[in-house]
Amino acid sequence: MTDVIVPNDMWDDDREGVIVSWLYLSGATVTEEEVLCEVMVEKAQSDLLSPASGVLTIVEEADAIVSRGQVIGRID
Amino acid sequence: MSSERILTVARAGREAVMWEMKNDPSVFMLGEDVFTFGGVFGTADGLGEMFGAERILDTPISETGFIGIATGAAMAGMRPIVELAFIDFIGVCFNAIANLAAKHQYLSNGQVKIPMVLMLGAGGGYNNGAQHSQYLLSTLAHMPGMVIVAPSNAYDAKGLMHSAIRSDDFVVYVGQKKVAGIGLLGSPIKTSMAAVPDEPYTIPFGEARVVQEGTDITFVGVSWTVHQCIQAAERLQKQYGLSVEIIDPRTIVPLDREAIFKSVSKTGRLLVADEDYQDFGFTGEVIAGVVERDPTILKSPPIRVANPNVNIPFSRPMEQRVLPTADRIFEATVALLNL
Amino acid sequence: MTPNADQRKAMYTSIVRSREFDDRILELYFADKMPVFDLGKGLIPGEIHSSHGHEPCAAGTMIHLRPEDTITASHRPHHQAVCRGLDLSKLAAELMGKKTGYCAGKGGHMHIYSQAHNFSCSGIIAEGMGPAAGVALANKMRKQPGIAVSYMGEAAANQGAFHEVMNMAGIYKLPYICVIEDNNWGVSVNKQASTAVARNSDRASAYGVYGEYVEGNDCDAIFEAMARCVERARGGGGSSILEIQTYRLKGHMLGDTMDYVSKQELQGLKDCVVDYRAKLIADGTMTDTEADAIVAEVKQEVDVAIQFGIDSPYPEPDDAFNGLFAGTSR
Repeated sequence: MTDVIVPNDMWDDDREGVIVSWLYLSGATVTEEEVLCEVMVEKAQSDLLSPASGVLTIVEEADAIVSRGQVIGRID
Repeated sequence: MSSERILTVARAGREAVMWEMKNDPSVFMLGEDVFTFGGVFGTADGLGEMFGAERILDTPISETGFIGIATGAAMAGMRPIVELAFIDFIGVCFNAIANLAAKHQYLSNGQVKIPMVLMLGAGGGYNNGAQHSQYLLSTLAHMPGMVIVAPSNAYDAKGLMHSAIRSDDFVVYVGQKKVAGIGLLGSPIKTSMAAVPDEPYTIPFGEARVVQEGTDITFVGVSWTVHQCIQAAERLQKQYGLSVEIIDPRTIVPLDREAIFKSVSKTGRLLVADEDYQDFGFTGEVIAGVVERDPTILKSPPIRVANPNVNIPFSRPMEQRVLPTADRIFEATVALLNL
Repeated sequence: MTPNADQRKAMYTSIVRSREFDDRILELYFADKMPVFDLGKGLIPGEIHSSHGHEPCAAGTMIHLRPEDTITASHRPHHQAVCRGLDLSKLAAELMGKKTGYCAGKGGHMHIYSQAHNFSCSGIIAEGMGPAAGVALANKMRKQPGIAVSYMGEAAANQGAFHEVMNMAGIYKLPYICVIEDNNWGVSVNKQASTAVARNSDRASAYGVYGEYVEGNDCDAIFEAMARCVERARGGGGSSILEIQTYRLKGHMLGDTMDYVSKQELQGLKDCVVDYRAKLIADGTMTDTEADAIVAEVKQEVDVAIQFGIDSPYPEPDDAFNGLFAGTSR
């Protein structure tokens, strides 16, 4: 089991971001390195890449406010 | 690669561009702010890194010039994709679009082809003012010589982009800014996101899609207004048990008049919603197409919900008032049917 | 690079051919439009912007161009079409709106296309610049040989497109030449009244490209200047603006009475075809007999072409609906 975490280097400071959209629903099979969701900090949008391959469970839905290091999903 | 992805319109369109550029060296993109910036509305995000500055070509602010240049490159057998961030800017390059790109194929009697795509960002609703919020698709649709597509969802966006790039004709690809699903304009519209296959696929031009079937009235929308129709239909169903059929033409030129006529023959009622200025435009065209074929299929007058030909005001209450929102579509239907 | 005897005779033949073609068109144009002049009537309808007087601009430049080079011309395309080697029969037929014309009657005088010659023209002022620069860009991107040349008048340099395209030609260092035929008039407005500078070729420095002006409407001088521009373009040296002094002997279009031109200017007009013939004979390149033979042969060519046009059928009215879209894809 691997946590899907908002990378610490996704942006530079302690601001909060928001999940704009997930590219998969819970239960979907995902592959390592592919884009899982889009996260936005103010005007800058970044792609969050999958840390592993497996079945995704979404913990934080779209529109959720997130911080760096936060767990937003799981891959089994 | 997984096959259960749900993409935004912008991402899906970009995927098609990426695939075509990887597989066909004659495809290249040009426009303002495409290379480093990735396009003002995310149309070229990441492409610069992937393909380099020569194939993702930043141009100066010279729309007439670079649309003319793209036409020449197309005549020479390349497949340029021109990125024109705001459809409002067709004002400065209308000649290049309408007299040059849209005419060479016909005037040469087919000796030259113009396999060019013109991507345009259209529409508003986010307080960007009268010169950066127009829809204007009808202004182009009025002129012969260009295929015009306006996808409302990610699945159509990718398929139509593949079709547009592969086509030997001049194709105008109208992206609506809110439908694109980029973060700059809030959360993506849920109904614009769709499951998109990994592999490339095409959607034929001139083929409409039935978004949902119904029996009481036909809604025809374009791009953003398809989603307004969906929202209004949901409310009408819940509140009045009304059964609404929604048609998304997907291609505006050539228009799938058959699909629209078939639907109205079934329901007997027609409402057309368009973000563009109402007069002399899409809504009138759809209605005329039905009425001139057989006016007796209509049980009540057709309705148009569009911008009532005013310049788009900046202030929120005024801007929202002139847009063909779900509320306006809902109220127009209630009034028509005396619900 | 000065032209040799064969090249000079070839240029002379080209200008004779262009002039003969235009003279026959002029004759036929007026023959059947009276008594009340109606542009839409007759064998050759519409506006015709003849090339009388402009011939050296095409002859002296086109001689350097190869089959893989691309040309875009303007609303005054006859001399460029003829000097590029387009088939006179298909040209005549197109002017007459016949099915056998280059564009099956779809284009007409201002929209002559011959893909086989990489030749097209366009009726909107300065509109040919973008496509020519675009072909140049495509050739550069694909590392293919082939330069591009656009032809236009001096007043066209005041169009926004000129500024935009020349700027991009400068940034992208395109193998592109902008040929400007300076006949001093933009329809009825004199150059001094329309253009803030004396010469458009001087505007070249504003775009980081080369500019050159050729006086005298003489094939030899034009040949030499174009040779420099072509060498620059083929050698990766980028774009040029080549401006050529010329004049229109028949006004803006056939039927233009030229009331806005001073009597002095009209009386001072010279005939470049007459002058070049005299020059070549005077310096021994050609004899009178040789010149006459060229003229006679050209007259026959043009006769055949015109007759072909006259004898050809019109398209069917419903042919108008064909070919709006190619309908094909890769």
